[in-house]
Amino acid sequence: MSRKLIGAVVALGLTATAAIAQEFPTKEIQGIIQWGAGGSTDTVMRSVTPHAEEALGGTVVMQNMTGAVGAIALNYVADSDADGYTLLMGAENPLLYKIMGLGDQDYNDFIPINILARGTPILVANNDAPFDDYAGMMQYIRENPGEVRFGATGPGGLPSVVTAMMNTVEGELDVIAVPYDGDGPALTALQGGAIDVMPAVLGASIEGIRAGTMKPLAVFDVAPNAKLPEVPAVTSFNEGYNTYLPWGPFFGVFAPNGTPDDVVAKLSEAYATGAQHPDFVELMDNRGFTMMAISGDEARDFLTKWQQGTAWLLQDAGLTQASPEEFGIARPGQ
Amino acid sequence: MDAIFAILTIFTQPQLLILVGIGTFAGIYIGAIPGLSVTMAVSILISFTFSWEVYPAISLMVGIYMGGVYGGSRTAILLNIPGAPSAIATAMDGYPMAQRGEAGQAIGVTTVMSFFGGLIGILVLALAAPLVSDFALTFQPRDYMLLAVLGILLVGSLSTGSLVKGIFAGALGIAIGAVGRDPLTFAERFTFDFKILEGGISFIAVMIGMFGISEALQQLHNVDKAAVRQKISKIVPSFGTIRKYLPLSLQTSSIGVVIGALPGTGGDIAALMAYDHAKRVTKTPSRPFGEGAMEGLVAPETANNAAVGGAFIPMMTLGIPGDAVTAIMIGALFIHGLNPGPMLMIDQPDMFWFIVGALLMANVFMLIFGLTGIRIFTKIVEMPRAIIIPLIFLLSIVGAYAVNNSITDVYWMLGFGVFGYFMRHYGYPLGPVILGVILSRLLDDNWRRAIISEREDLGRFFEGVVTSPLSLTLFIAVILIFVSQTPIWTRAKSRLFGKAVS
Repeated sequence: MSRKLIGAVVALGLTATAAIAQEFPTKEIQGIIQWGAGGSTDTVMRSVTPHAEEALGGTVVMQNMTGAVGAIALNYVADSDADGYTLLMGAENPLLYKIMGLGDQDYNDFIPINILARGTPILVANNDAPFDDYAGMMQYIRENPGEVRFGATGPGGLPSVVTAMMNTVEGELDVIAVPYDGDGPALTALQGGAIDVMPAVLGASIEGIRAGTMKPLAVFDVAPNAKLPEVPAVTSFNEGYNTYLPWGPFFGVFAPNGTPDDVVAKLSEAYATGAQHPDFVELMDNRGFTMMAISGDEARDFLTKWQQGTAWLLQDAGLTQASPEEFGIARPGQ
Repeated sequence: MDAIFAILTIFTQPQLLILVGIGTFAGIYIGAIPGLSVTMAVSILISFTFSWEVYPAISLMVGIYMGGVYGGSRTAILLNIPGAPSAIATAMDGYPMAQRGEAGQAIGVTTVMSFFGGLIGILVLALAAPLVSDFALTFQPRDYMLLAVLGILLVGSLSTGSLVKGIFAGALGIAIGAVGRDPLTFAERFTFDFKILEGGISFIAVMIGMFGISEALQQLHNVDKAAVRQKISKIVPSFGTIRKYLPLSLQTSSIGVVIGALPGTGGDIAALMAYDHAKRVTKTPSRPFGEGAMEGLVAPETANNAAVGGAFIPMMTLGIPGDAVTAIMIGALFIHGLNPGPMLMIDQPDMFWFIVGALLMANVFMLIFGLTGIRIFTKIVEMPRAIIIPLIFLLSIVGAYAVNNSITDVYWMLGFGVFGYFMRHYGYPLGPVILGVILSRLLDDNWRRAIISEREDLGRFFEGVVTSPLSLTLFIAVILIFVSQTPIWTRAKSRLFGKAVS
């Protein structure tokens, strides 16, 4: 009797969900952008979403919710109803919240709808810096310990990971890390000479490099980038980087765990279609981003691998608040 | 020649002209409502104008920006609630004028002077953008820090009454600004392990509470008192009045352009610095400052509108935002397939000149819309208190909620409102609190950047200050302004100049 009842309830529930999915979306979807207006995440999300809306046949109202390096937005979406009407539009750094002591939730509490693209890090220097390439910079740092100023964006940011990589591959570098609010302000400071070297994402510095207001030292990838073919890859200076590269920040759309499968499928499809739109592809290409547009298990594997690699790199560099082990993040290759 | 054609693009297409007009009109009202910010409006417009051509989209945004910066003064004058942080200084002399029945006159002068400041900003943008942006880039962290110290010294001119109470209020503001995760190291400060404190306290919520709610509570004291009748003649200031303030407004506009062009500082700091400047250089104000001095309106309003043109300077020449709004506009240009950066002015000079043209037009629209309908607005002040007090509450609550769509901000706002009421009651000035909150981050972040850059060595830090002409100038200015506020200076002055006269 009771088993029948349960069956009936489950069946009812299933048909209800199916009905919801068929009609989804019946109201406006809220898209919470983890970073401020005008930043990289914001621009990427605002340029892909209108194309996804078209495919979805609904509206996504985007809203910037900043604070605590995006943790406020992440917690907000994680705590909202898992019905697909609240989405998180974020970047890579939540995967480091746990080990950085910034929160107890990360993308493991979410279903990836679409991981849109990834960026390539590049090392740029002030035009007056007394070196012109990566090898020259390394030599200068060794000859003048404690003099070269590197821009930073706080623990867990792209510069901290790139610097950790350099320390691991090249041995401890004696440089000064000057913290800024983001790569935009840091690149401004670089042009004004307040810092000498900045590890930044290619997209943020490409216009400056083209205009000659800053000079590129090396692309942090295994091969030169098509957008800047004349800039050598860092692996051409030191093979040791092959262990960690390619590595880069990424942008993705996420729904909280427990969102019905068909809703997830519908959203994933919409964003996959949106990401293929020629306008969007061109936009990303212009800024030197590499398109990914992956979802489902592929996206989940990517996130796991990214988290393992980066978390242990930072752990070995002594930059973490808590060991990745505590959160069950396995060392890569184990 | 091409430049002139590009500026004129906007006039040849009525559709663009109308969009600038709509933008300016909407901007004035968005700016006037506390909590609804230009930044927010422009970021909503990015999605809204996604499928548009780039010129119409930019026209609308430029209009909203120009109108919004001006609009903040409306509620500051009429209700003592600055619609935007850049109108804080405007409230200090604008509201006393409204209480004397001169709200119409105050709005009139504000409008004309905003137009003038805006014009200076646009002229500098058009004629000297590369020069100014090169100068702005030379500001090092230590220079920003010295600038913030210079700003902190404004406490003296923002406090009416006891300087000690003013300093206390300023220090409180700096402490409020430091709450939350430190943006440089992410260490928690003053959070007492409360999650809601991690993101810090919204400074807009503090501002709305301290000015709006405390004002409403204050008015409850004389809820039955009849409102002041507003004079509605002589709303548009005479040519003579404008000429009288011309020298001052040129100075304050220059302050506005430079502060606006510096990445990291904007119209709010510009307006406060200009107010302070006016207080220093004006020997005989029309009335004492803080009681409705015309100079106290002219200075901040020219400066904050001049800062608009200023903020576009680094954006157009280098792709670096001068403030939060231009940061979003850079994103908009990017979405529309342009590549904002140092090459924009070389690859697409038309875009630069088009923006100059749109700004010019928005400035004219601001003057037109600003000067019409003043009579209806002054009626707000004439409303009975029983209506106006709930209205202030409503505006404040909606405004505080709108900043982050967060109810927590409403609680903060109400809390600071009650706190601000008691501060007023015991003669503590509110201006320095807001000044402290605004400058807290600028001072804290740049001091640490400056000292970290010098390997935490004070000797090297001062060596840097002394060897850089810019830092040295700022440093000397800080010392001179500081000394001029101490009794030593007053005594020395009377001894020196007293003798010279006799």
